[in-house]
Amino acid sequence: MSEQTVVEVKGLVKVFKDFWQRPKVKAVDNLDLSVQRGEIFGLLGPNGSGKSTTIKILLGLLNATEGDVKILGHNPHDVKVKEKIGYLPEESYLYGYLTPRETLNFYGRLFGLESGVRKERISQLIEMVGLSHAADRAVGEFSKGMARRVGLAQALINDPELIILDEPTSGLDPIGCRQVKDLMLALVRRGKSIILSSHLLADVEDVCDHVTILYNGKKQAYGRINELLEDSDRIRLTMPELSPEKMKTLLSEIKKKTGSTPEVDRPSMNLERFFLEVVDKANESAVHQTGAVKTEGVAEYLNRQ
Amino acid sequence: MLRIRQFYTLAVLTAVESIRQPICLLLTTACVLLIGLTPVLLLHQFGEDGKLARDSGLALHFVFGIFIACYTASSCLAREMRTGTASAVLSKPVSREVFFVAKFAGIVVVIFMFSSCAAIATLLSERVSMKFSMEPAVVGYVTDGLTGGMLLLAPFVAFLLAGLLNYYRKRPFESTAFGLLLAMLIVVLLVSGFFERTGQFSPYDLRIHTGIISMSAMVTLALVVISSIAITLSSRLNIVPTMIICSAVFLLGLMSDYLFGQKALDSTLFLVIFSLIPDWQNFWTLDVLKDGGAVPWRYVMHAAFYAVSYSAGIMLLGLLSFSRKEMR
Repeated sequence: MSEQTVVEVKGLVKVFKDFWQRPKVKAVDNLDLSVQRGEIFGLLGPNGSGKSTTIKILLGLLNATEGDVKILGHNPHDVKVKEKIGYLPEESYLYGYLTPRETLNFYGRLFGLESGVRKERISQLIEMVGLSHAADRAVGEFSKGMARRVGLAQALINDPELIILDEPTSGLDPIGCRQVKDLMLALVRRGKSIILSSHLLADVEDVCDHVTILYNGKKQAYGRINELLEDSDRIRLTMPELSPEKMKTLLSEIKKKTGSTPEVDRPSMNLERFFLEVVDKANESAVHQTGAVKTEGVAEYLNRQ
Repeated sequence: MLRIRQFYTLAVLTAVESIRQPICLLLTTACVLLIGLTPVLLLHQFGEDGKLARDSGLALHFVFGIFIACYTASSCLAREMRTGTASAVLSKPVSREVFFVAKFAGIVVVIFMFSSCAAIATLLSERVSMKFSMEPAVVGYVTDGLTGGMLLLAPFVAFLLAGLLNYYRKRPFESTAFGLLLAMLIVVLLVSGFFERTGQFSPYDLRIHTGIISMSAMVTLALVVISSIAITLSSRLNIVPTMIICSAVFLLGLMSDYLFGQKALDSTLFLVIFSLIPDWQNFWTLDVLKDGGAVPWRYVMHAAFYAVSYSAGIMLLGLLSFSRKEMR
């Protein structure tokens, strides 16, 4: 395993057994993976394809039936290695009676963070995930999206080297989704590595460098995302608005040279960008907000070199 | 050092999380109110001043304690594994051993808080109950109405204050009420020392049966043993099977000496069963309290040694089971 490899999985098999120890489900079947330092690695697949099982094996929460797993050069059951890992579970597994501030303080203590560092990080993370106004309300009262934000904040409290995000945008509104994606890009710029498990194709497409597609526990495809998605038989030309006459001339010229009629359409803004612009305008005149609010940027400590 | 900090953090969280659950507060309040009402409900003393109030108080302490111990153990381990909070914590640099033992320590804290409330209520209830008075002002049977009134009022005052703190300071109602209930009971105990049983102001004297303190300590030790069994079972089972098995162990343990103890000398099998099932009679020595007697602290220490050894053995089994458990 090289210095640059943060996760290496070879021939991983996971079989869940019933009460009598008979094989019930083969959740992961002969999986090979390799995640490099400083990249966002996408684990893509439908529900039940083995993404979360693979992640739980990486974290030592489940035992592999067969295969070899190394995370940051160590066995997943090595408690010490978890000091460098941040994990956001598929569901935001939080203590309902604690407030976001208490939750982050609790996780900060588990990492042995000193009181001053903990306080600084907690306030920055709460600000970053847009929950400053709800920092002292019990998490049990939160909507799924708000709880997800607390879950994301706890995954970053230790400023981890490797961040494992299981469906990080599920339950989040479009603002939250964009913030999570921006956050991932900012973390990778600082040399962090991220494993992103999702069935939301747009999320993976937006941020991932490499992707593995799982189905029925087996690897179906692997590669750089732009290479996998590129249509190498076609090209796209974009230009400023043309008059009808010029357009007609251009199309006939292209047809003459290539022998085929090109398709013409207007580029449209994607819905996510349009939505964010609308919210930005509304935000300027907003008076009071009870849910999560849109915030700018990343917690300061996560930006430090 | 980190392990100790993690242990402390997890134990505190377990205790806080448990006392913030409404059921814990409800059971403790119900227990205190029932103990407080015992002197009113018991019309006959059968010639033994305070015995029925004392025995009933300790029995209520034991029974309600078993419910709290089983429920808290199940909810803090079985439920955490089911809902995934255990996975979230174990994905951090926390070993399973620290997690499991800290959970138990958190439950023990809750048991101690509950036992403190129940023990103070029993002390007060015994003081309140009808007794023959030889004081010059009153000769005859006297019930301490003033202390009884304060004892029954304490939970309501605690709830009212917790409500106000929740309204104005946003303090969580359940845990605040739990803490205030204990504080109010201590206040009632201390204030009652200024009054005679007839309600007249007098030089400070607590006028309590101090033997109840060591007996309550014995009941608390029994509850610690039950907690260790409950948390070990919770590493594999849900709340209902845990409750059923704990109840069965409780009943078998009450009859352990009769069912297995007498045959243990002749049969290895009975000896093994007798050793495995906790003998509650070791912790239940009510007769000693008669005529102002008390369980000697030396005996309490022996019982504590038995409880700690038994709990440690059971916890080892639990640890073994939990360390192999997969967190789905």
